[in-house]
Amino acid sequence: MDAGRTGGATAHVAPPVAQAATRRLRSDRLAPYVLVAPAVLVIVLLRLWPLLLGVNFSFTGDGERNGTSVGLSNYVELFRDPLFRTALRNVGLLVLLLPVAVAIPGLLATFIFLRVPGHRFFRTVYFFPAVLSPVIIGAIFNLLLGADGPLNAALETVGLGPVDWLGEPKLAIFAVVGVHIWATFGMALVVFLSGFATLDTTLLDAARSDGASTRQVIWHVIMPGLSRTIQFVFVTTMIGMLTSMFGLLFVMTSGGPGGSTYLPEYYIWTQQGQMNRPALASAASTVLFLVMLVIGLAQIAILRRGLRED
Amino acid sequence: MGDARLSRWLVAVPMTALALATIYPMVFTTNIAMKTQREYIFNRFSPSRSVQWDNVTTAWTSGDMAQYFINSLIVVGAAVALLLLLGSMAGFALSHLRFRGSRALFLGCLAALFIPFQVIMVPLARTMADGGLIDTYPGLVLAYVAQFLPFTIYLMTSYYSGIPGEIIDAARIDGSSFYGVYRRIMVPLGLPALLSIGILDALFCWNDVLIALLMMPSAEHRTLMVGVTTLRGQYSNDIPTFAAGVLIAAVPVMMAYLIFQRQIADAVTAGATKG
Repeated sequence: MDAGRTGGATAHVAPPVAQAATRRLRSDRLAPYVLVAPAVLVIVLLRLWPLLLGVNFSFTGDGERNGTSVGLSNYVELFRDPLFRTALRNVGLLVLLLPVAVAIPGLLATFIFLRVPGHRFFRTVYFFPAVLSPVIIGAIFNLLLGADGPLNAALETVGLGPVDWLGEPKLAIFAVVGVHIWATFGMALVVFLSGFATLDTTLLDAARSDGASTRQVIWHVIMPGLSRTIQFVFVTTMIGMLTSMFGLLFVMTSGGPGGSTYLPEYYIWTQQGQMNRPALASAASTVLFLVMLVIGLAQIAILRRGLRED
Repeated sequence: MGDARLSRWLVAVPMTALALATIYPMVFTTNIAMKTQREYIFNRFSPSRSVQWDNVTTAWTSGDMAQYFINSLIVVGAAVALLLLLGSMAGFALSHLRFRGSRALFLGCLAALFIPFQVIMVPLARTMADGGLIDTYPGLVLAYVAQFLPFTIYLMTSYYSGIPGEIIDAARIDGSSFYGVYRRIMVPLGLPALLSIGILDALFCWNDVLIALLMMPSAEHRTLMVGVTTLRGQYSNDIPTFAAGVLIAAVPVMMAYLIFQRQIADAVTAGATKG
């Protein structure tokens, strides 16, 4: 490193040993910055800066009005667009389904923690879909949910007609969210299990020997002890629902039928890629960011109170 | 006590059913991929009578999956190498070196962790286009590095925080520079974390479709997952070959999962318990 080279006059008159020492000192002082510089460059240029750029961009026009300020008109257009309103309604639906998406892995993790027979096997199997790409899962479920797929074949044997899972506007969003939960509950399960590993087992044993039922143990010992893990799972599951369903939507429904499975991330994609409306897409991005921020903070506030944590 | 044992087994029954439901889609797809077109049409759900690899070969060659596979390998390999290099350098500095702004830097990194790609994708695409990086390998690699670097730094920093400072002090007294400490101590000691975080980063990059679609629009640059999205249109009348294409894309991940299950779970939970 020639960082020490640029030194002043003192370095010239100093004896060789001292000179080497000053050089080393200077190099040492610089070292942390050299080590973090590439990372800082990437994060600032390609993550933080685009965030500001995007917010700024959302107040400018598209097409002929490219670059000129248009005030809030993108936001006005956004909230008038039935597609975006559907996307926001679907966000509301996801928030309502969130407790289910958290409770399933939570309950399963509890049973695994309580050493159900075969718990190792369950752990391995349940986590498996979580490592598959949404694109692969979507492609597989296109076959499974198809008119002549195994699910409809199974329904037929009990006398129920074929259901058009992805073709019914009222049903499709539930089908896609269901697939998403199926594909990702293993992630939350593993997080829950790591939380269980930090639980104070003597507390559990004490409750047990005092004659507490399994249900009481779950409510009064496990839940309060896991409050941090539960908060973490709630927030990450919410983030996952709002930002990692693109692959499923892209492969399974393309936002249809009739735009009924739009989510903000899919709306952003179509406005940017297909409709060539980057400024409108930026406005949708900003709204998505704010929505996530609000939901995330609200969750933490509610859960803290609910789980009696200070 | 007998009651408790019984209820445990009662719980195990639905859990087994769920486990089967979890495996079934993959078994179903593999089974179809092994069938001939004819067998699929007449005998959809029964186990394949003949195990034959024609569909896999067809998808691999005529479906261009081979090219997409190589594209994915190049991009994921480069992105993970860069992520681990930058992440471990920054992680070392943030965990063990004192310097002005280190705390602000760590907080900035945490903040960046919570910026979803969807929120920045429009301006990012524009910045990349301005830099002539759209539809190039370096562009996609850089996009992946930017996306997963905050996470990588965060985990490397917390892992390195567990390494006692005395080891570093001892090496310093022996005349090592910080760069020497990084190379000779932090990299070797960090190997377990580099392995599990690297595998998780590789999974994220390999499985991504949104970033790849945005950064690599042209057909010959498609990554494997983008390739999978085009399969349905290509083989709408040949479901066994479609299933074989899906299988090709899934097999590397399944192998990685079987070998590295522990490391993947470690990396996932490290983020949860340290926060």
